[in-house]
Amino acid sequence: MAEGDARTDRYCLSDVLPVDVDGIDPGLNVLVSGPPMSGKRQLVFDLLAPEAVPADPIVVMTTDDPASRIRMQFDDRNVRFDESSFRIVDATGAPGDSAPGIHRVSSPADLTGMGVAFTQAVDQMTAPDRLRLGFVSISTLLQYVDAERAFSFLHVLSRRTSAAGYLGVYSIDPTTHEDRFVNVVTSIFDASIEIREDDDGTRELRVRGLPDVAPEWTPFPH
Amino acid sequence: MTESKGGTVLIVDDDREVVRTYRRYLEDAYAIREAYDGEEALEAIDDDVDVVLLDRLMPGASGGEVLDRIREQGYDVRVAMVTAVDPDFDIVDMGFDDYITKPTTREELRRTVEDLLSLNRHATDVREYHSLLVKAAALRDGKSSYELDENAAYIELESRISTLEASIESEAERLTDDSRFVATLRAIDTSQRGESDG
Repeated sequence: MAEGDARTDRYCLSDVLPVDVDGIDPGLNVLVSGPPMSGKRQLVFDLLAPEAVPADPIVVMTTDDPASRIRMQFDDRNVRFDESSFRIVDATGAPGDSAPGIHRVSSPADLTGMGVAFTQAVDQMTAPDRLRLGFVSISTLLQYVDAERAFSFLHVLSRRTSAAGYLGVYSIDPTTHEDRFVNVVTSIFDASIEIREDDDGTRELRVRGLPDVAPEWTPFPH
Repeated sequence: MTESKGGTVLIVDDDREVVRTYRRYLEDAYAIREAYDGEEALEAIDDDVDVVLLDRLMPGASGGEVLDRIREQGYDVRVAMVTAVDPDFDIVDMGFDDYITKPTTREELRRTVEDLLSLNRHATDVREYHSLLVKAAALRDGKSSYELDENAAYIELESRISTLEASIESEAERLTDDSRFVATLRAIDTSQRGESDG
């Protein structure tokens, strides 16, 4: 494939990141990590829908915020929820009416159920060639399953989307886990975006693992 | 433990002729157990069984009921449902891992069993990969890279990690098959904690 073709296949990021990266190659998986309230969830959602009219179908898998809150957060960024191109796998176990585009799973401990819901979401969007999967969050998943199962689940899910040429974006709060676990789980991903905040509220971001991007801390204002 | 060959397969069918045929197709490669109804199947199953070939329609407990009991009891086993008609439904949320339509051939039966065993291995490999990464991270703690280069246990660990990594990455292409993807996650769900240690 000519380089020009590969470029147009990339997942466009517009100017979501304060560094010079305009797209991510198909099949990559990106980990967004940051402490609580650092805006990592917003960044995950920005990476899924950089523009109000998303370029690609979206699936959000959630283990913490129920589907209604996820929808609200996309409404706030003027992204329209439409089950032909946007679906939510809600594994929070929160009660909710069945609604088009919402796939409910009883608990984050039901890894099989999350997999089934993901395949159904993709199939019901007629198995698109391109898709952006968001997963929020690894930290909550770890409250329900042991580290080995969580790692295995994330490995299998990320390789499944990778094989299909999709983009995967996952969030983790590294402050709530041992460094060792964070390092091991980070190794699943092709790239990571770390967010940190000073005591005075200055926010910075560092991208690692993407070609042509220096892994340097860069101001990332709120 | 009688585990031998490539794995242990439990054949469940009320038709003894069918059981005999499947045994003939499989017994050179796998250890075989037999059951002629649902109750016998539940008695014959234990943690040594890797794959169950389960007839859907049997007098007494149906294949579906037996499947539910197997899942409730938490056995780490892959189940292929054997049906008389092609299921016209989406199989990913039915609780079984694959299906075979009767009559089957030797080739199809062996391929199905081999596929199920290979996804089982994949799930086990990913878990072992995790435990090796954790061990390597522990060894790295507080050691210089020079010390690590001299550490035979660490070098051995790194080599096992790269072998395992190559093998799990080569399996990843097959995960675009929905039923294989879901069956692999189920194998992770049903795995016994700590099984991959040691």
